[in-house]
Amino acid sequence: MLVPLYGFMRGDCLGLIVLVHDTDPVAHIAETLAQAAGMRVVPRPGGSVYADGKRLDPGLSVAQAGLTALDRVDVIPEEHVWPG
Amino acid sequence: MLKREQWMDLARKLDWNFSYVEEKDVYPEEAAGTPWLPQQAWAAWDEPYRTSYSEYVRGQAAKEASVKAVREAIGRPEDFERLPRPWLSALKLHGATLPLAEFAAVIGNLRAGRFARASAWRTTAAFGALDEFRHTQIPLLLMHGLVPWDRQFDWTHRFFHTGNWVAVAGRHLADELLLCSNPIEFAVGTNFVFETGFTNMQFIGLGSLARRTGDRMFEQMVNSIQTDEARHAQIGRPVLEILRKHDPAYAQRLVDKWFWRSWHFFAVVTGFAMDYLTPLEHRTASFKEFMEEWVLDQFQRSLDEAGLRKPWYWNEFLASLDHYHHMVYASAYTYRATVWFDMAVPSPAEREWLAEKYPASWSQYAPIWDRIDQRWKESGPGVEWHTHGATPVGFCDLCQMVLCAGSPMANSARVVGHGGRKYIFCSDPCKWIFEAEPERYASHKDVVKRILSGEAPANLLELIKHFGLTADEWGKDAYRGGYPWMRGTAGRKNGGDGDGEGRLNGRPQKVRKD
Repeated sequence: MLVPLYGFMRGDCLGLIVLVHDTDPVAHIAETLAQAAGMRVVPRPGGSVYADGKRLDPGLSVAQAGLTALDRVDVIPEEHVWPG
Repeated sequence: MLKREQWMDLARKLDWNFSYVEEKDVYPEEAAGTPWLPQQAWAAWDEPYRTSYSEYVRGQAAKEASVKAVREAIGRPEDFERLPRPWLSALKLHGATLPLAEFAAVIGNLRAGRFARASAWRTTAAFGALDEFRHTQIPLLLMHGLVPWDRQFDWTHRFFHTGNWVAVAGRHLADELLLCSNPIEFAVGTNFVFETGFTNMQFIGLGSLARRTGDRMFEQMVNSIQTDEARHAQIGRPVLEILRKHDPAYAQRLVDKWFWRSWHFFAVVTGFAMDYLTPLEHRTASFKEFMEEWVLDQFQRSLDEAGLRKPWYWNEFLASLDHYHHMVYASAYTYRATVWFDMAVPSPAEREWLAEKYPASWSQYAPIWDRIDQRWKESGPGVEWHTHGATPVGFCDLCQMVLCAGSPMANSARVVGHGGRKYIFCSDPCKWIFEAEPERYASHKDVVKRILSGEAPANLLELIKHFGLTADEWGKDAYRGGYPWMRGTAGRKNGGDGDGEGRLNGRPQKVRKD
């Protein structure tokens, strides 16, 4: 099932709609968002995905991570600290 | 013979005590506004201009003559060909958003002309409605001659009738504030906050930039409009004073609500024009500096005088002066085909100026523009889509603008549930406005919800067509990526041939003719 999410790439200036399958790994969200924001933010591999301020296990599926349609997710490069 | 001040009240204070009807039937609360107070509570309502009909007609006739003279002298397309192309985009932004919003204000004033609770207020609102007719027709008249010259000017006349995302946001604001508000909310939201609080920046600040840029017609237009606004804006203060006396919490809530909504509107319309679309050599101050001088100082003084506090989100608002319009401009640039005007990449000199004017925030925007430079260098001039987004963007369920609040390092959007649905708000004030009156907003669908429900296409090109834009109308890079500081890194094979300074191949730039 397709799951549209509000995605925010750290360093970018707007929120985007990221469309993923509920069976996709969480890491796929980071890749998709990095590509979508690529004309404004230099894509960097290995970004972490956060929801409600908590880092999601990249190996979990979107459904296993508890994400449902129109949730907010943030993708933050590893060197950054969650703003709190 | 009576002196003016001796007879003026006879012409303005025309209320009488009803014998054959009930006051509540003449002024029902749902039309006249909350709180419903007996006529006596409004008896002392007054405003300083106290215009009579003959004075009004004489003054307006003189203003119309000035507008006509300027139009005849400098209103031809060739007069506009001299203007820098980014500035023409500011005209297109105003040409789209101004006329029908002003017409909506006609309706709001006419409602006050009928249902406002003091006759002097109704009289001033009736003049206000006539003012707003002028403000509808002046930009239509002045910009109509540009329609055959440039299709984007033609599109500005269709703007409000389309499903374009900016039009959705504009109608969401104008419909509520100008078409639906009762006279009390209209007076606080439009007259006190929007007109008294913000339009000085537009009319004085932007008017002076128009003069420096050489656009005397725009300058004349905003000056002419400003003198009307200064008069009918005076309705707001006395309404607010009576409202505060009887329901101070509601008075504060209306101010807080409309200050935030007005801020988002002006940040885009005026912020773009001042910090990005005015040529650097003509800028005298940044948008933030104009805001500090013309809005913050004056508005805080007005609030103090009205016995009200600053809005509860004041710190968030001050922080957004460093960010919001920069966020939206960079976002819109990379989705420029979804709007009807061209946009430019800030030059290195402009970026230096922006860094100097916004020392607390520009370091977060410089990497974004560096990345956009890099993409242009990869593609070479003329390849618009390499620096253009293809993924749908998110919109706030209250202001309907792109999710651009907060900062690049900490976007402030948040999702909340209501009535079994999820809503996203760009900021806490937008969330607060929604939650105070969810029944007013909950059923509205932003562009994303329209896509998800099948009412709008998800594919970007199809969505642009759904917005009513064709290839010769949608926004492009103002110089097609032909910037001098990018030369030497990629070929000029794709036809970009501007110099990034408002000229094409060294001569004044002809805008497209169709």
